[in-house]
Amino acid sequence: MDTANPVDNNALLNKASSIVAITAHEFKTPLSTITAVVDLIAAKLQADGLMNSFYEKNLSRITSEIFSLNNMLDEMLTINNILSGSIETKKMVVAVESKLHTIKEQFQSFSRNDKILQINITGTPVPIFVSPVQLTHILTNLISNAFKYSRENDPVIHLHYKEKELEISIADDGIGIPEEDLPHLFEPYYRGSNTGGISGSGLGLAIVKTFVTANDGNITVHSKPGEGTVFTLTFRYPDSKTNS
Amino acid sequence: MSAKILLIEDKAGLLDTLKSLLELHQYTVITASNGEEGLRMAITHTPDLVISDIYMPVINGYQLLEKFRENPELSKIPVLIASAKTGEEEINNALQKGAAAYITKPFLFAHLHENIRKLLS
Repeated sequence: MDTANPVDNNALLNKASSIVAITAHEFKTPLSTITAVVDLIAAKLQADGLMNSFYEKNLSRITSEIFSLNNMLDEMLTINNILSGSIETKKMVVAVESKLHTIKEQFQSFSRNDKILQINITGTPVPIFVSPVQLTHILTNLISNAFKYSRENDPVIHLHYKEKELEISIADDGIGIPEEDLPHLFEPYYRGSNTGGISGSGLGLAIVKTFVTANDGNITVHSKPGEGTVFTLTFRYPDSKTNS
Repeated sequence: MSAKILLIEDKAGLLDTLKSLLELHQYTVITASNGEEGLRMAITHTPDLVISDIYMPVINGYQLLEKFRENPELSKIPVLIASAKTGEEEINNALQKGAAAYITKPFLFAHLHENIRKLLS
């Protein structure tokens, strides 16, 4: 058995990858129906004057868990695509600030969170050369984490247009990351030792790191337990990259 | 008069639930469980808006969009695609074939409703 033909092994891996993709996708049908049923129950309770804080809190909790599960499925599909080599990085010129405003609007319309993403911009905006789809994935994941872990204050994203590169920092005032977890943070399925009770697949940051690297960027993290976390991304401008 | 929405979805549970939600929000709803039936209903009832899935039997959502674009009467009706496919390729393909909007499943009804209001205004 251990002398299996490598061609057979590849065929088997491709089949396994397809099964993961199809199964993850099929899970979305019941999730969509459950989300709609929860919305229907909430709308009916509201229409009949029966809605109260107990129903509101618990129905909202079901929806929130459905979306967590859906995010895990999306991350599983993405990592599956990365591992099977079926992700292409199609780069083009992207104005980050306009993309960021779209992402902010999506967070406001989707989330039932009372916090609002704060956007700060310094320097003169210069477009960067990246895959718009992957940049959206990177920013959405880091902003979603910042919302998830923020405690008192709104999460903040700062675009700092420096001379040769754009520096993007995403900060929250959450539980922070213990020092011993930091070296492993971008490894698939690794979850911080203090994240118990907060849902996540452990794949999000591994995908972020893969996409940042595929777009010639860099990512670092600074964190203090009990004070919060700052992720910093850097992407060089197309001109400065060709000049360097 | 309430706006008339044609809902095309092959998953019976989701179709029923969305129909009830739309009716609770005072829309008149007609339904179809595949693209071919949806096309027939659109020609007969001339809805103000169509909400359709992509992967359905007989005629899929992409083919439905093409049929709408070929028909001068149907081409005026906005089609909102609601699909579990989140890939850039699927979204761009639907928009290029004439979809007025694309939302990914699962979605909050508030998000669907916001899109409906925009397309009907």
